[in-house]
Amino acid sequence: MIAPGYVAILDPFAPEAQDIVRASPPLESMPPEIIERAINRVKWKSSKERIVDTSASAIQSEIWSFYLMCQGIAAVSYPYSREVRLVTEATREAIKYRMYDLFKRRHEDLCLDVVERYFKFVQLEREGRIKLKNTEIPREDYFKLRDKRLAEDGVEIVDDRALSQYVPKYAVRWTDLALLMRYRRAELTKLYVVNGWAVITPRELWDIFANFIGTKTEEYIASLYEHFSESGVPSKLLNSVGEKISALIPPEAELRERFIRIPRGKLRPEFFPPCVKKALGGVGAGGRNYAIAVLLTSFLSYARVSPSGKVAMRMADFIDDISIVREEIVPLILEAAEHCNPPFFKDQPQEKANIFYHLGFGMTLEPRLNDSGKSKWYRTPNCNKVQISAPSLCEPDEFCRKIKNPLTYYYRRLAEQAMERSGD
Amino acid sequence: MQFREATLEERKRFYSEEWGKKDLPDFILHTLSLREFGFDYGEGPSHRYNQFMTVEQLADFLKNKSPYAAYASVALYEQPSMRKGWLKSELVFDVDAKDLPLKSCNCSGGAVCEKCLDEARQIAVMFAETLRSDLDLHNVNFVYSGRGFHVRVNDDAVMTMEQTERAQIIEYVTGSVVPADMTMALGYSHIFRDRVARTFERLSEQKMLDIGMRKALAQQLIKEKDKVLALMRKGQLQELQNFSGMGEKTFQQLLESLKKLNSELTDGKVTIDTKRILRLPSSLHSGVSMKCILVRNIENFSIEDAIPKFARERA
Repeated sequence: MIAPGYVAILDPFAPEAQDIVRASPPLESMPPEIIERAINRVKWKSSKERIVDTSASAIQSEIWSFYLMCQGIAAVSYPYSREVRLVTEATREAIKYRMYDLFKRRHEDLCLDVVERYFKFVQLEREGRIKLKNTEIPREDYFKLRDKRLAEDGVEIVDDRALSQYVPKYAVRWTDLALLMRYRRAELTKLYVVNGWAVITPRELWDIFANFIGTKTEEYIASLYEHFSESGVPSKLLNSVGEKISALIPPEAELRERFIRIPRGKLRPEFFPPCVKKALGGVGAGGRNYAIAVLLTSFLSYARVSPSGKVAMRMADFIDDISIVREEIVPLILEAAEHCNPPFFKDQPQEKANIFYHLGFGMTLEPRLNDSGKSKWYRTPNCNKVQISAPSLCEPDEFCRKIKNPLTYYYRRLAEQAMERSGD
Repeated sequence: MQFREATLEERKRFYSEEWGKKDLPDFILHTLSLREFGFDYGEGPSHRYNQFMTVEQLADFLKNKSPYAAYASVALYEQPSMRKGWLKSELVFDVDAKDLPLKSCNCSGGAVCEKCLDEARQIAVMFAETLRSDLDLHNVNFVYSGRGFHVRVNDDAVMTMEQTERAQIIEYVTGSVVPADMTMALGYSHIFRDRVARTFERLSEQKMLDIGMRKALAQQLIKEKDKVLALMRKGQLQELQNFSGMGEKTFQQLLESLKKLNSELTDGKVTIDTKRILRLPSSLHSGVSMKCILVRNIENFSIEDAIPKFARERA
């Protein structure tokens, strides 16, 4: 008999999991084994590592370590960075394996109970004819669906138990898959939709649910990042956990990243948020300082220099060539300043040095790499700060609804575009 | 039927004598205060960010201003006059007769005729059928826009969807992605087969030559159109390669062209734009002197229903 609270290991966002989070100790008293588990989660390869014992302490350890992992990565990384993808991929794989394991151990009901919280679904009727809510599914289609799924997994000969994973068994409302469609983790034209129901196999059910939790994890980390941007990272422990996870990224993933996922490299102004585009065009007298020295300076520097994923105190942690600052970032800031009315640096030339101060080089007009870290490298303000401090800059487009920080907007759009290109 | 521009006097007459709030569809009427309204006084729809709290306010405005064109957003907002607080948006397909990829009439440029309007109507019907039966959406409405038809879906399940999801619905409804298996009886496979066959049926010899097909092959395909269509409807597209001169490359080019033509059945930009303003049903399309109207029975749609009194009297 499995306790109902066990659903938390399939859905760390479920109320049962939230209860466990509320009972967690302060960060500074987090048990070492939880810290270790949080770091090692991304390394899990074996079934033994992914399966969670049914005891209350095992479930607790699983949930605390999941949240510690997310918070650690949000402390040192950016939304949609390769660190975040490493974490979400590990989460997806773990959830998928647990679903498989529970099915295998005849606990299908527990899985369906969790799935049903997010997706309306029905089981196909199989009494003679195969029916879905009074619509008969042609037998040929039924077997073609099975064979298609087998072919997709490269499976040729399977035993009866494995075969049952590939046989269409459920149907979910296609509209419930909207979140997955948004991230292209489900494609409408690849689904077999009848009367609004997408017919799926048990394996697809595990995939759908694991992808769904993976996407929610990604969104959760993005919200944490925005929270930390505003209030600061609450603990050294989170930084340390995040750094250790970050160090576990396999080199091949980093290499693939460069070719497939883009973010690193030249700035892509077409993906800038509306507020940054507006600031680049110059603003009037009242909002110049905020637009140029606060928003543009932080946004352009982080967007250009650190899409590799990490937050750092010094720009020199990311670059070994000051020309990136002098030739790629600063000219854009100077040009935007010139577009202001009146031009920003004409009547306030002292503000030029302030730009380098905000970039972390101290008060200077000739930044050198060695100066990096002399002052604080300011992070990009959250949208609510921009709204309050420079309301004229904030003309949100549809995409802005999804984010709370201008940098998140940029990373997310880059990631989406990269995903489309790679056909992911 | 002549599609002539309306004069200012005719617009005034229309809005003071003929326009009535009863002509507004329920899906607009019940959400009026949550929509952004836009108006065109002859220079394009540049007067945006308007909000009306009551239908009476809208009526007064239309009567007083007699705009060249009136629009309402597909989106519902907390503050429509600032376009802030997006709540949800209708899912819309714009089927414009003047932009149809394959027309059987001789209209050119921005012109439309009753023939291409009817072709646009048929496409709108086809889309609605897929939306209703395959995707199980129920609140599907047709609007005659003056130069074509809008299919406007007001089911909550799709109204909160964003651009990526909407783009996927376009692919599904238009048949612009080749499925892995074209032979399944139900699902997207059958939609793709229907759309591809429909498009091929309308391909002229010249269009086939434009695709890069050799003349002899194009002529043979035209001659054996019924056979080709039967193969397509059965999902046996690969067998087209048995036609002499249809190598793998030509076959792929044909398939690509059919997909592309399918995708042009509707203006995808309209569907994915969740802040779009669309011509207000009940308003006057002054460019062609036709009423933009909700079409309750699309099968029996008659363009006569959309002709304003002043245009009738002109004739």
